[in-house]
Amino acid sequence: MAFGKFLLKRTLQGILVVWGVVTVLFGLRAVTPGDPVNLIVDPAVDQATRERIRQELGLDQPIYVQYADYLQDLLVGDLGYSYQASRPVSTMVIERVPATLELAIAATIVALVIAIPLGVISGTRRNEPADYGATSFSLLGISTPNFWLGIMLILLLAVQLDVFPTGRRPVAFHDALWTFLTTFYVGDLLTWLHHIILPAVTLGTYFTALITRLTRSGMLDEYGKPYVTATEAKGIPETLVRYKHVLRNTMIPIITVLGLQLGTLIGGAVVTETVFSWPGLGLRLISAIHNLDWPLIQGIIIFIGVSYVIINIGVDAIYAKLNPRVLDE
Amino acid sequence: MKGADNLYSGRRSVLKATGVIGATAGLGAIAGCLDDPEGDDDDDLDEIVITQGEIIENPDPNDHITGPYFNVLDPVYEPLFNVTPEFEFEPRVVEEWEDTDEGAELTLRDDVVFHNGDEMTAEDVAYTFNRMIDPDLGIESDQAAGLGAIDNAEALDDTTVLLEHEVAPSLAEFEYANYGRVVNQEWIEDQEQPVAGDDEEAFNGTGPYEVVEYEPDVQVVLEPFEDYWGDEATLERVVFNQDGESSGRANALETGESDIVDNIIPEDVPGVDDADGVEIREETSLRNVFLVMKSGVEPFDSTEFRQAMNYAVDNEGIISDALGGYGEAMTQPIPDGVFGHNPDLDTYEQDLEQAEELVEESGYAGEEITLYSPEGRYLNDADVAQMAADQIDQLDNVDCSFDTAPFPDISDANSAGYDDEEMPFFLIGWGVITGDSDYGLAPFFVEEAPQETLRNEEISEAILESQTIEDEDEREQQLQEINEELREEAPWVFLHSQDSVYGVREDLDWEPRTDESIYLWELDS
Amino acid sequence: MISDRIKSNLRQEFRRNLLPKLGLAILVVVVLMALFAPVLATHNPNTTGHFDDGNSYPPIGTSYDSYEVVDGEREPYSVEYSTDHYLGTNNVGQDVFSRLLYGARTSLLVGILGTGLAVVMGVPFGLVSGYYGGRVDDAMMRVADVMLAFPSLVLALALIGVFGSMSIPVPDPIVTAGFAEGMPSATILPGTITVVVGLVTWVWFARVARGEAMAIRNEEYVKAARSLGASNATILLKHVLPNSLTPVIVLATIQVAAIILLESSLSYLGFSGTTLSWGYEIQQGQDYLRTAWWVSTVPGIGIVLSVISINLLGDWLRDSLDPNIEGEGGGA
Repeated sequence: MAFGKFLLKRTLQGILVVWGVVTVLFGLRAVTPGDPVNLIVDPAVDQATRERIRQELGLDQPIYVQYADYLQDLLVGDLGYSYQASRPVSTMVIERVPATLELAIAATIVALVIAIPLGVISGTRRNEPADYGATSFSLLGISTPNFWLGIMLILLLAVQLDVFPTGRRPVAFHDALWTFLTTFYVGDLLTWLHHIILPAVTLGTYFTALITRLTRSGMLDEYGKPYVTATEAKGIPETLVRYKHVLRNTMIPIITVLGLQLGTLIGGAVVTETVFSWPGLGLRLISAIHNLDWPLIQGIIIFIGVSYVIINIGVDAIYAKLNPRVLDE
Repeated sequence: MKGADNLYSGRRSVLKATGVIGATAGLGAIAGCLDDPEGDDDDDLDEIVITQGEIIENPDPNDHITGPYFNVLDPVYEPLFNVTPEFEFEPRVVEEWEDTDEGAELTLRDDVVFHNGDEMTAEDVAYTFNRMIDPDLGIESDQAAGLGAIDNAEALDDTTVLLEHEVAPSLAEFEYANYGRVVNQEWIEDQEQPVAGDDEEAFNGTGPYEVVEYEPDVQVVLEPFEDYWGDEATLERVVFNQDGESSGRANALETGESDIVDNIIPEDVPGVDDADGVEIREETSLRNVFLVMKSGVEPFDSTEFRQAMNYAVDNEGIISDALGGYGEAMTQPIPDGVFGHNPDLDTYEQDLEQAEELVEESGYAGEEITLYSPEGRYLNDADVAQMAADQIDQLDNVDCSFDTAPFPDISDANSAGYDDEEMPFFLIGWGVITGDSDYGLAPFFVEEAPQETLRNEEISEAILESQTIEDEDEREQQLQEINEELREEAPWVFLHSQDSVYGVREDLDWEPRTDESIYLWELDS
Repeated sequence: MISDRIKSNLRQEFRRNLLPKLGLAILVVVVLMALFAPVLATHNPNTTGHFDDGNSYPPIGTSYDSYEVVDGEREPYSVEYSTDHYLGTNNVGQDVFSRLLYGARTSLLVGILGTGLAVVMGVPFGLVSGYYGGRVDDAMMRVADVMLAFPSLVLALALIGVFGSMSIPVPDPIVTAGFAEGMPSATILPGTITVVVGLVTWVWFARVARGEAMAIRNEEYVKAARSLGASNATILLKHVLPNSLTPVIVLATIQVAAIILLESSLSYLGFSGTTLSWGYEIQQGQDYLRTAWWVSTVPGIGIVLSVISINLLGDWLRDSLDPNIEGEGGGA
């Protein structure tokens, strides 16, 4: 199978999945009990007005007409209006993306920076104290709920020692960066960094633990393979072997697993944002659910679902480029 | 929907200078001035940062009745009247007003301009009122309920507006003086309804400050409006931040990121007290928290059973344990300080034996009930409800469990009628924001009222009658009798009105007020 | 179905390693806590008001600074522990130790029932999909893809929005039999959450079962059974299902841990359905970090220990049985 054809097939599958996602969400909203009009207006509002709103929202139409309208609106990027805030859902989603993205990227960086060296040490010093330390850490890391970890970090580092703030994001990264680039004032960037460290560590810990485990077992596997023994016999220094060959081969499964765990990252971000009042998509989703603001709930989840599908197609494509055997399967 | 939640909106409780509130009014020196003992450096206070649990839901000044939103919006969309610390109305945009046969006539200043440069006219003022009362003009305003007496607004000439009404003048005055943040008709009609922009362009008021930055749910930044008719903008920059966590707000205060923060929970009080340069300031509010018992649903259709619930609950104990003492026990549906409150009534003191006897009498011994509570809507709400449920559960002949529910579900139940069986027993709150008992009674105890919780013909008629009594003393007496009647009928488990607790920079000469508002324009430097 | 070789493998791995023993020991303690909560608890977990003059008691051996109001002034006041309350009391004066025990019940109940539901939904789905292959498989796998496009926590939140909170009181046999005076007569099962965690995790079981079914359907003995006239249903039940059990068991073990984490996250976010949940307790305590650090800390330790113990046993099963499976982690 050619790469182009592969990509086309995956894209078509992706579109099908997206259609499924939006349909599931439409269904969920349709079966939710309660009158949406109640969520929009004051209880004191009279019956005639309620009827008018119902008509405006198309709620008096048969369900298949509502579904068709809904798909049509989605095609042009219209996610409707929030019941609660009366603002376009698309804007309410987009404006929260940078904060969540900052958090997810920072967490991934934290994870990679800590995990890979830890995994390498652990994998090359098997059954030594360093290895035990790293394995215990990773076991703890995958067994700790991240919201609790976040609260414990707040308790220790914000409340007791007062080293970090308890939360909030006083400045957006892109604004801080822009200020720095135009005025060379570094204060905003530092403020941003100061506020994101605890949330990033909170969200990143699970992945740190996971990648440490993967790197360790990857290293152990690769070390047993003939090419390593062969290069070592040729007298190439050990460290060079370790980093150049072994680590590179270890990275492939790590990338695959990270792609698969994207859902965990997003779910984790929802919780982490709540712990730290970090104004991202997750915080907005939680308040939307508390308010039963369906257009907003729907919009956020569609956005997450679609991004997830697109990223996965991207990961598959990269994987297929690196590993053309996939195309034959 | 949001009407049920107007507890965050104790804003503008325009109180007659009677009773206790009159005495505390001295404290209500509103958004004060910088206490500068040296008296030399007057430029200290040119920027102020206020962190609230919520800032604004949208930029529309006519859409909501939520207190903290007004703190942000009032400097931009100034109110028509000044409300003095003694809770009297003073001229502001309205220079004079009088009641005629047709209604109230307001005379306006002629030099008021909007931030976009347009001059303000009587048409704009009339449009503003009609926009709030009449849903056909584009929004379903939560303020409509507070303007129930006003039938229509009309511009008589460039500076005169007639507000038609058929009720007692003092009731009408309570209503129109509380609302009316003037919008520009032409500009508003070009906007989405309600105004829903997400940048500084979404604001156009006549107030002393204009919005220069707006990030929804995060931040609003204000700077003085140069063409303002008065000279009230003394601060060069005002920042409103949003932080939903009490500990986060306390932290912002302690680190100096913020000068005033609202809603500090009792548990964070000692920390703020210990921190350098900041302190706690508190004031009673008109937010009244109670447990609704729907009188059309078993077992709550028995007055004895409802009274028993009141005897089972130790509201003083809840105030001291769940609210750290920051609350006042309620004796009737209306909090102290509101016109028509009856000062002669006592709380139901906890008396388990009497409660058990009353349950026996009611014939509902052995009942199993569940109390629902929202979480985070009111001060320590779930804690309060959990303690109340446990105290009722202590009765030998009633089983009471506790659960939390999302606020929209509770609000739905609240407006589902007095005989709706879905959720007959729940915690909710109400702020009597007009400062008049009518606003706390009519929505709950008049037949077919939107949030009817008790069906009692006599009480219903008495409330309707009170709306037309012109003589103030007579009207007050009638309202007090109704409140006494309601204490006996026990449609709710009366709990408490909660205190507002702020964290404030020590050197800031500002005192909180009972209506929970923060007025920027009275900040002196 | 479980061969002697597997059994001896399991035994060997267990004997050789310390970790599965540790896991088993912790898990036994947690299960006993949950089972005998009414007997072990020192107080009714719902009873409020265990205060020292309005202040929560700290855990045994600790004290903290508070204040009391004297004549309208706040005076410093040191709150000492009470030997009645081993782990102190929370913000409404409930006994933290007793709530820890009852919280274990909720976590394990939801973990086991939720996993059970996921197995019951996912395994037949996967078996049918993998056994028939072709178009059927294609269609069914697209359904699975749709499920996988939602992060499980996010989908769970949406479903909770639909179902609302539904609590099912389950009578407590120990209390009914009269062995524990004054304890709650029923345990509240958070119905919505139990169903929802099953609904968002079944797809992992479907994938595992499908893989096994695909591998087995072309085996000689299956072909032989088919040629002897056995119906597809019989073959699925008699041959394919038993063979897929091993990986399903391993996955189920890990999923119990993942679901305990998911349940605690949902409760933390305010969608508990019962107040006797570790996640709910942690959320309650977050507002009190400055004064009452133990309210959030204690239940978190409960979660970590339960999840570690199950993960250790899961690792042991995986190492002994070596199935090739994947699943969404429980980092949320």
